[in-house]
Amino acid sequence: MGIGDKDASFQFPCTIHVLCLASPQDPTIQASVSMYKKIIDIYGHGGEVCIPESTLSLDSTQKMFCQFFEEHCSPFHGVLECGHLECNIHIFPKPQVYSKSHDFEDVELEVCHNIKIVGFLDTSDVASPPFISRHLVFPLPPQTANTDAGASDEAIGDTGKIPSFTVLLHGSLKVENMVAICQVGSEWYGMLYSWADPHKKKSNLMLSIFEPGVKSLPWLGKFTHLAPHQIFTASPYGEDDNKTPFPVKITEKRSYSLNHVGWIKPAGLQADIQKVLRHARKLPEKMPHFYKELNRVRKAALSYGFTELLDALSAMLDRECRLLPGSAHPDAALQLSHAANALRTEMARDITQTITPMSTKYSSIINEAR
Amino acid sequence: MAYPVSHKTVFVLDHGPAMMASSKENIDFDVFNKSRGPGIIPLAPVTKSLWTCNAEAAVEYCRIVYDLFPDDKLVQFVASDTSATSLNSWQHKQQNVQKLLDCLVVLGPPGHKTDPSDCSIVHGLTHAVEVLCELTEKQQDVRLALEETETTLQNKGRIICMTSLKSDRHVQSLQEAVQEAIIQHNQLSANADSFMPLNYCELVFVHVRPVGRKSDSISSPKKSVSPLLSVEVHVTDSGRSVATKVVGLAQRHYELFSTTVTGIPMKEEQNSGSSANYDVELLHSRDVHLEALNSGNTEGLLIQSKEGLPSQSLTLKWCTPKSNIMELQNCVGAYRVTPVDVNSRPSACLTNFLLSGRAVMLEQPRKGGTRLISHMLASHGGEILIHILSSTRSVLEDPPSISEGCGGRITDYRIHDFGEFMKENRLAPWTDQNIACDPLPLQRSENHLERMTRVWPIAIGDTMIFNMLSHLDPLPSLIVKDKLDDDEVLECKKAIYHVVGMESRNEPLPVPNAGLRTKGSKREEQYRQMWTELETLIKVHVSNSPQHQKVLDCFTDCHKTDGGNTSTIKQRDEAIMELETDLAVKELDTFVLLNPSTK
Repeated sequence: MGIGDKDASFQFPCTIHVLCLASPQDPTIQASVSMYKKIIDIYGHGGEVCIPESTLSLDSTQKMFCQFFEEHCSPFHGVLECGHLECNIHIFPKPQVYSKSHDFEDVELEVCHNIKIVGFLDTSDVASPPFISRHLVFPLPPQTANTDAGASDEAIGDTGKIPSFTVLLHGSLKVENMVAICQVGSEWYGMLYSWADPHKKKSNLMLSIFEPGVKSLPWLGKFTHLAPHQIFTASPYGEDDNKTPFPVKITEKRSYSLNHVGWIKPAGLQADIQKVLRHARKLPEKMPHFYKELNRVRKAALSYGFTELLDALSAMLDRECRLLPGSAHPDAALQLSHAANALRTEMARDITQTITPMSTKYSSIINEAR
Repeated sequence: MAYPVSHKTVFVLDHGPAMMASSKENIDFDVFNKSRGPGIIPLAPVTKSLWTCNAEAAVEYCRIVYDLFPDDKLVQFVASDTSATSLNSWQHKQQNVQKLLDCLVVLGPPGHKTDPSDCSIVHGLTHAVEVLCELTEKQQDVRLALEETETTLQNKGRIICMTSLKSDRHVQSLQEAVQEAIIQHNQLSANADSFMPLNYCELVFVHVRPVGRKSDSISSPKKSVSPLLSVEVHVTDSGRSVATKVVGLAQRHYELFSTTVTGIPMKEEQNSGSSANYDVELLHSRDVHLEALNSGNTEGLLIQSKEGLPSQSLTLKWCTPKSNIMELQNCVGAYRVTPVDVNSRPSACLTNFLLSGRAVMLEQPRKGGTRLISHMLASHGGEILIHILSSTRSVLEDPPSISEGCGGRITDYRIHDFGEFMKENRLAPWTDQNIACDPLPLQRSENHLERMTRVWPIAIGDTMIFNMLSHLDPLPSLIVKDKLDDDEVLECKKAIYHVVGMESRNEPLPVPNAGLRTKGSKREEQYRQMWTELETLIKVHVSNSPQHQKVLDCFTDCHKTDGGNTSTIKQRDEAIMELETDLAVKELDTFVLLNPSTK
């Protein structure tokens, strides 16, 4: 496999760091470094090539590794807040700086030291939101955020006995199947929830960070416009917790929710004509449906300047009229020929007009067909 | 900042009489005569004009753009005949398919009576340039935001011109006309308020010819004419091909890709007893399959589009939903989708199924044993999104157990109580999503949480008062409110007096089983702790409102934490009697009000 061979890449996003165990004076190292940089570029998720500062030795190697750890593996210590309740936390893996060029702005953000819970939601309402990264949240003891590497077992045992808000939060979120919405930066939000590793059946508190932005999850509405449910006059969750204010409905319907007319393919046109015919064959019972479909087809034909269709439809309705069995209701023939004639008039090409049922002695009420 | 060209697109539609020529593609519409028996002569097929096919194709382009990008991708129609007319504007409320259809109706088809020599597509093209110099609402906001900085807004746009071109020279003269128009309008827009010079324009010609007519090949790939303008020419037959061509352009312009959902079980239309499997092709952002497409791991997944689009489509298999309960999925992206053929019965079935609230998992059909569920389709508040599910291993496997960490050995956390607390602090969307009040709704949520957590012990063993709520209610739940009415103050006082009474009768306090984590188990010490906690609780809320002060006053009157009570038992009993009399009188008044006959 050579460089540039697509099969050589991993099937998952992968950051590669290369730490060279060689002296910087080594003549072959320059070629190697540029090769490694190429590999990192191919895998496309960043990475670094490090070489010791001075001649290869235990000291210089240690120094190189220590610098690397400081930069790439330092833990993220922060504080989890919920009103006055708070807890020192360690988040793993360390949240990355968010840096992205959007259509109209360049955004660069860092996760805050203080993760602030702003409220709670049911898991079903939050509806599998997309996250840009996920992190485990571990409680730290209250006094210090930096634990020494050589802490004694006794010291750790003590911290096990100090109540921690993080543990309480996790337990309650798990029992109630809820999530805590939190703010992780300026106009940047995430959620905390109980996550269980499916294999080992252990659960932990997890932080999922959403895409930055106040409207990054449209079905929750704007994050800045989430209010405590108690300040509404009528509880949005209902008296018996039997309803939910989510999802926030979109303001304009999409084409698949509307009765969009699509005649690009013949099948679309045929289907709409068939609808008109089906109702035509059941006149006068289906009179409102017939006129509704007729006007819908007429309006679409006028939108696209497809006037030939009106003549064709007119001919079709004439034929339906001729083919009516003798047992058919007399009003059927009257309505069919009325509709066929109407389609041939100037009025049919005027969108402000609607073709309405003919008033006959059989239909005392004129049904408004729209 | 990308300042994409796709933010503003102008469709210049040739509205000259030549467009009324037939597309020469027959459409059979009289196809339902099987049940009528022989002898029925089908009606002659209809044909659409060039204009009709172009209009349908342009509307289809818009349908896709508005479904996938309802906010920041705008389209304007311009009709060009003896002059140019904009059918809609850049205003958000005019950016929808219904508006375009209404405007097309009013416009009507090209007039037979118009003299072809008076018509020119140049009118439409120069008007399109003028319109691209207008700033959209979004651009005006961005320009305002950038005022403090050194960066300037870049104004770019695209013109898609659907017309009949005569030759390469014709194309040449048209592109010169557009170049000239850009320079002129840039000068005019330089100092205008809601206009801005055009930094770059992409001009796309779609030359449409009736089916079967051969014409000189004038198609050409995109090439730069000047720093301000690039031009490309596409050639297509009229009829269905125009729509295919234009949708193909939409895929390029908005970086769209297609997914074919296979194996959707649907009841047969004719025979509702049986069901068959159908496919539905969906369009969405290319990012939905970014990993797969970039890594090239698409063996067996890519097929040619079954809807006739010029691109490939990635197949995913429908997984029959097992239960209605939606678990939290690990989702790394969510994008809007729209069906390629929105009217077909399978598409309608799929979209209706999703809109009714059911979600569907999609599986990559892989050879070999393992199933890979890679995506999920779900609707949210009326729009359908495709979620990308994380299918890679994560670094978070094998996490440590909670009992091993800080606070892990505590067994009496107030889990149930905090659960109730969380439910009381649930969020709901404010009805007016555009309100700009101070404080914003979220700030009110934070204020609410702050008030609720001034006193909140997290373990049972850390508190006395939260283990004796039956004696103290409703004081703990009332005192946290930001306002108290007279009745509520009375209720709080009642609770204080009740506990005072308990102490005077030396009743035992309900100490938690595990014992208190604080000192002493003697009743005296327990009461002392209880009073301290209660005092703290009332004091932290005294600033909420003047009424709260009354509760604190009552507490102070009854009990001081420095030792004995200030009032004698007799005085206290008198105070209790007075309180109970007040309450009784009030209750009597209420009774009389409700039962006037008893007066």
